[in-house]
Amino acid sequence: MSAVLGVSAYYHDAAAALVVDGQVIAAMQEERFTRIKNDASLPFHAAEACLSVAGLNADDLDEVVFYENPYSKLERVLISNLRTFPMSWKQFPLALGAQLGTKLWVLDQLAEGLGVPRAKVGFRSHHESHAASAFLPSPFEEAAVLTVDGVGEHDTTVMWRGQGSELTALGSLEYPHSLGLLYAGLTAYCGFMVNEGEYKVMGLSSFGQPRFREQFDKLIRLSADGSFELGLEYFAYMTDPALGFGPKLEQLLGPRRPVGRPWDLDSAEDRRFADVAATLQQVTEEALLGLCAELRRQTDASALCLAGGVALNAVANARLLRDSGFDRIWVQPAAGDAGAALGAAMLGSVALGDGRTQLDTMALGTAIDAGRGQAVARSLGLVAERVDQPANVAAELLGRERIVAVANGRFEFGPRALGQRSLLANPAGAQTRDHLNRLVKHREPFRPFAPAVLADRTPAWFDGEENDMTPYMTTVLDVRADKRDELRAVTHVDGTARLQTVRQPASMMRGVLESLERRTGSPVVLNTSLNGPGEPICATETDALGFFVAHRVDALLLDDVLVTRP
Amino acid sequence: MRSGGVHGLGRERCLPLVPLAARIVNPIVWVLPGHAVHKLEQFALAEHGSLLDMTAAANRCEDPDRAAAYLRHALDEGRHSQMFVRRARELAQEQGRPRPGRVRADTEHLFQTLGEVDFLAFVHRGESTGRQQFESYQQWFRSRGDVRTEQLFKALVHDELRHEAYSLELLTDLVPAEQVSAAFRKMWMRDLWHGWLRLGRPISHGVYLAGMLLLYPLLWPFALWVRVVRPRRSGW
Repeated sequence: MSAVLGVSAYYHDAAAALVVDGQVIAAMQEERFTRIKNDASLPFHAAEACLSVAGLNADDLDEVVFYENPYSKLERVLISNLRTFPMSWKQFPLALGAQLGTKLWVLDQLAEGLGVPRAKVGFRSHHESHAASAFLPSPFEEAAVLTVDGVGEHDTTVMWRGQGSELTALGSLEYPHSLGLLYAGLTAYCGFMVNEGEYKVMGLSSFGQPRFREQFDKLIRLSADGSFELGLEYFAYMTDPALGFGPKLEQLLGPRRPVGRPWDLDSAEDRRFADVAATLQQVTEEALLGLCAELRRQTDASALCLAGGVALNAVANARLLRDSGFDRIWVQPAAGDAGAALGAAMLGSVALGDGRTQLDTMALGTAIDAGRGQAVARSLGLVAERVDQPANVAAELLGRERIVAVANGRFEFGPRALGQRSLLANPAGAQTRDHLNRLVKHREPFRPFAPAVLADRTPAWFDGEENDMTPYMTTVLDVRADKRDELRAVTHVDGTARLQTVRQPASMMRGVLESLERRTGSPVVLNTSLNGPGEPICATETDALGFFVAHRVDALLLDDVLVTRP
Repeated sequence: MRSGGVHGLGRERCLPLVPLAARIVNPIVWVLPGHAVHKLEQFALAEHGSLLDMTAAANRCEDPDRAAAYLRHALDEGRHSQMFVRRARELAQEQGRPRPGRVRADTEHLFQTLGEVDFLAFVHRGESTGRQQFESYQQWFRSRGDVRTEQLFKALVHDELRHEAYSLELLTDLVPAEQVSAAFRKMWMRDLWHGWLRLGRPISHGVYLAGMLLLYPLLWPFALWVRVVRPRRSGW
């Protein structure tokens, strides 16, 4: 037996993943346990939970693989600070303090924290971990692989060829030329938090017109060979740890948006930010298309695997499937740094001689303890009763326009709630989106909600078929024009929806959709994540009960325990 | 509210240091320009930190009744954090300052590291300290005629009293009286030690920054060397 634990940490969204005999047994983000959104600390809680799911101890591990090379990373930080000398005077002490104080010793910290010999702890490179997380669990024996994010050790973008269990790097772009950091800088410019607000920028882009193209040509220059170069004078991330963009960017695009100011898309000022977001989205898509064209030229592959934070751009992924020339595209659903823990574990496993296995579920977290949930719910003064057919009960409530929280089985790995920790509602209700936004999620008014649909009913409701990305909400499809009234709450302003197609037999979500179709004729439900604003998605029954008490939703299903208010 | 303030052993033995200190510094911290917003943000952060610890306790406690009590407390802390943020934003708007963003606390995993008995003693002491501070602030804002902020602290004092009471009740139910006293002593020592560390942190940070800034100009030969041997690379 071989057991390999992969770990990502110390940038954002730390995670642990366990692969045993080539099978992915568990993968979890640390934030689900500490309840700190995008927690970057060493994921000891997640590692402990992974081992617990497998019934293993740390002694049973053959290898622990960290997702990047800490020595190479220190080198890049030093080189970058020296290149920007003397402008880096403010960043230098902080960056070096972080590296020498903690990050450089991560392998020793992992050995000590997990209780494994230091010799068992190794690393793979950042982008190799991303690439492995995208290719090794994919449905393809051979594929082109593209990893695009902020920055790893030195690289920001790498093209790969994947064959069998082998990954070969074909070319890379180096820091500071980074699509991820371009997106992050403009996320901060639009007044959102970096590493959290990128989805918001994507949602906002549909409300704008890409009228800043001339200005963006100064921010990023795209080359015919797919590479790109940033106009570095507009960005500050090389010299100022607090800000991604520099004063020249404000001279170019206008003043930044103050953090936390309520949005009003009827105002000229906020429409300007929507236009900036729209231009950014267009440029990002074109940069990705350029990269894909070069990758196709070099590999002649018909399938593409994507990973890295930029691969979470569902709108861009849809464009790539349409225009890149690749027949099939697979995006590893936890495409950000959390998913690199999975890649690191799989690389370790393959090196030990295990084969690769296709990932067919993201329910890789810990399970709900419904009995405990029932007892705690009753102690809280709630009504908690076991029901025979929870999916039918949920569908019945949804049919009556109720909002139902579902915590079912093992929680999902990655940023998407796919029915294990979800908040479900009727997608037709005119008030549903406003109600959810105002009372539960407190989100910006322009952010769309997503639908889940029975996979084989997809063409009846959306313009397109189920594809490799739709089961994981990593792409969008157009909502059929004749169905937009029935899917008001999940249709974005541009007519698209970031849908989840549900095929898995015996899953709770499938049961809910089938029951809903029998009752209402519609196999579609609004599916959003089970968390409040700024919180990680719920993991345990206690987290779910906390959410239920704090928010105005109508019912909570903890596996087969229905919780309601007295 | 989580607090590391130094004071007595449990509610019945609290020394009046906290309200005294608060009364002395109130005229400074609440009146300095922009400081009230910052102070309220700091409270929101402390409440959020407490939310994380109480949620962890609710998740890890095996007894469903105590888990429910911790969860209720966690929800209160979350609400308090939001109340502080809301008031901080109102004040920031009134004063034409940048609106505070979302608070993001860290956790020391107290339930895990201390164990349930010491954790309860810690919670009780923290609530007691917080309540005394808030009572002092409530009086201060009443005397200044700031009804909104006074009402904020009044609502918090009400909750803190409840938290003080339930945590002591759970603690005395869990272990005999001598162990309760021992837990309070231990937490009192812990508060002293952590107070010392908190004091040392900005000093060591300052010394480090000063040292690095002195070192930084000496790097110029390396900066030139790097530009020659490792120039910035563009393209593939």
